Amino acid sequence: MTDPEQRLAESISALMDGESTELETHRILKEVGSATVNKQGARSKWQRYHIASSIMTGAPVAKIDLSAAIAQAVDLEETHRPSSLQKFTGSASRFAIAASVAMLAILGVQQFSTVEPSGSDAVQFAEVAVTADQQNNGPAIQFPSDFQPNIQARTVSAGGNNKVSQKPLVPVIQVRQTVSQQYSEQEVRAYLNDIILKHSSHAALNSSQGMLPFARVTTSEGGSRDD
Amino acid sequence: MLVKWLTQVKLAALLAAVFVHGPLISQQMDSAYDLMARMAKASKELSYSGLFTYEFRGNLTSVKVEHVVRDGETYERIVYMDGPEREIVRRGENINCMRASDMLLRGSALKINDNTYAHLQDFYNFYIRGDARIAGRQVSVVNVIPKDKYRYGYVIAIDKETGLMLQSVLINRQGKPMERFQFVDVSIGTQVNDIEFSSELIDSADIGADQSDCLEGNQQAKVSESRWTPRWLPAGFVLSSYQPAGTDGQESLMYTDGLAVLSVFIDSSSKIRNLPKVDANLGATVAVLTNTEFNDQRFAICVVGEIPRSTASQIANAIAPIPARPMQ
Repeated sequence: MTDPEQRLAESISALMDGESTELETHRILKEVGSATVNKQGARSKWQRYHIASSIMTGAPVAKIDLSAAIAQAVDLEETHRPSSLQKFTGSASRFAIAASVAMLAILGVQQFSTVEPSGSDAVQFAEVAVTADQQNNGPAIQFPSDFQPNIQARTVSAGGNNKVSQKPLVPVIQVRQTVSQQYSEQEVRAYLNDIILKHSSHAALNSSQGMLPFARVTTSEGGSRDD
Repeated sequence: MLVKWLTQVKLAALLAAVFVHGPLISQQMDSAYDLMARMAKASKELSYSGLFTYEFRGNLTSVKVEHVVRDGETYERIVYMDGPEREIVRRGENINCMRASDMLLRGSALKINDNTYAHLQDFYNFYIRGDARIAGRQVSVVNVIPKDKYRYGYVIAIDKETGLMLQSVLINRQGKPMERFQFVDVSIGTQVNDIEFSSELIDSADIGADQSDCLEGNQQAKVSESRWTPRWLPAGFVLSSYQPAGTDGQESLMYTDGLAVLSVFIDSSSKIRNLPKVDANLGATVAVLTNTEFNDQRFAICVVGEIPRSTASQIANAIAPIPARPMQ
């Protein structure tokens, strides 16, 4: 047995065991299908191996070759060709799917663009989406260290519009001092500190953790003492 | 004869052993929920002092705590060991005062209204995870897992001997720890009873203990007299305290499900109602500030609590005036 034949035999054996690679399978099919080259090679090997395997497992053995008859029957089969209508509906449905995906995308984009913040007259916030890591090192000038407000929305008297952003945002310094400004960062901070302290003292009474909730107040309180 | 006598002695010894170690054995058989109930009682009725750490997102704070029960009243002081010198003192709290969370945790079902009862077990699963050692003491570790997405879970370590909670880790819905309280050193029992409660620092905050009313056994949960109410709350949260609007125009509603606590603040003062919508978090505490219009007046609404942000936003958006009642 020559080397290529040896390898073909191994491939056929592997295919029978369902362990052949895709490349091997293609090669075997090509060998078996080719009428001239190795006519008695691959095809008869395939048969012999199956007979051997049947004998070993005790299955009945019959040397009937149905392959020619099956091939003939397949040739006689009417070719199924998609009609032009089928073609049209097929492509139409594909188009419909693509269109609905596109519409969803547009809707999504609109959703996002409505939440996109923009500058306004009274206050401008440069907004930077931050990663979770960066959130820890928030702008200490604006809020107590480690106290990260995610300015999610701003209502501004001059603009009169209400922007909501889902991204965690870090406000950067630019608070323009105008008459129409109704609040300052200090006020927001003071208010939040106040209610968080009130909440903690309530939580201390109303949870099983005793005074522990007060520990949560430490950082914000510590920062706001500089006022 | 001698053999029979010996068997009797053995039996008696065995019985004695069972009685002597009775608490130990029954403790081992405690369910996780019983451990929690015991913890709620212990944290209030025991005298203890120690140092604990509070950690969130890589920040560590250490705090000294003293909790003394004297003549049926508690004296508590916490001193922040880092940063600016500060301490918080709370005194005169009656240990027999049962609040909504105590009722929920200790297993006496809290009546929400005539035929609805709140049970902590309806909203959390409790599992004993095993034993560990914290602050030099043997503890049982309990996993508390929420049954819905509206609240956080906990890993709680409870001292085996006394039932005191020595560690509490808040777990988010992804199973990641968010914050951790953990004792590093604690003395429990009589040796802490001699602590003098004169404040060491001038700059100390005295917190009144009368923030929420005590409940009698089987009493119905409070009904707020506020004209505001949340149209939606996660199941299991009951009103534990209501503060009517004072001179500052701020009223507050406070809710608990026994473990998690959330507060709703409604402000009508001009200074606060014009604050922007803000979404802040401090450790595991989230604060969602929004506003609403009612009778041409603007109100600031703020929801604060150790709850997921989505829950807080949902509650903040659901706060509305009670429609049936006319405005005063």
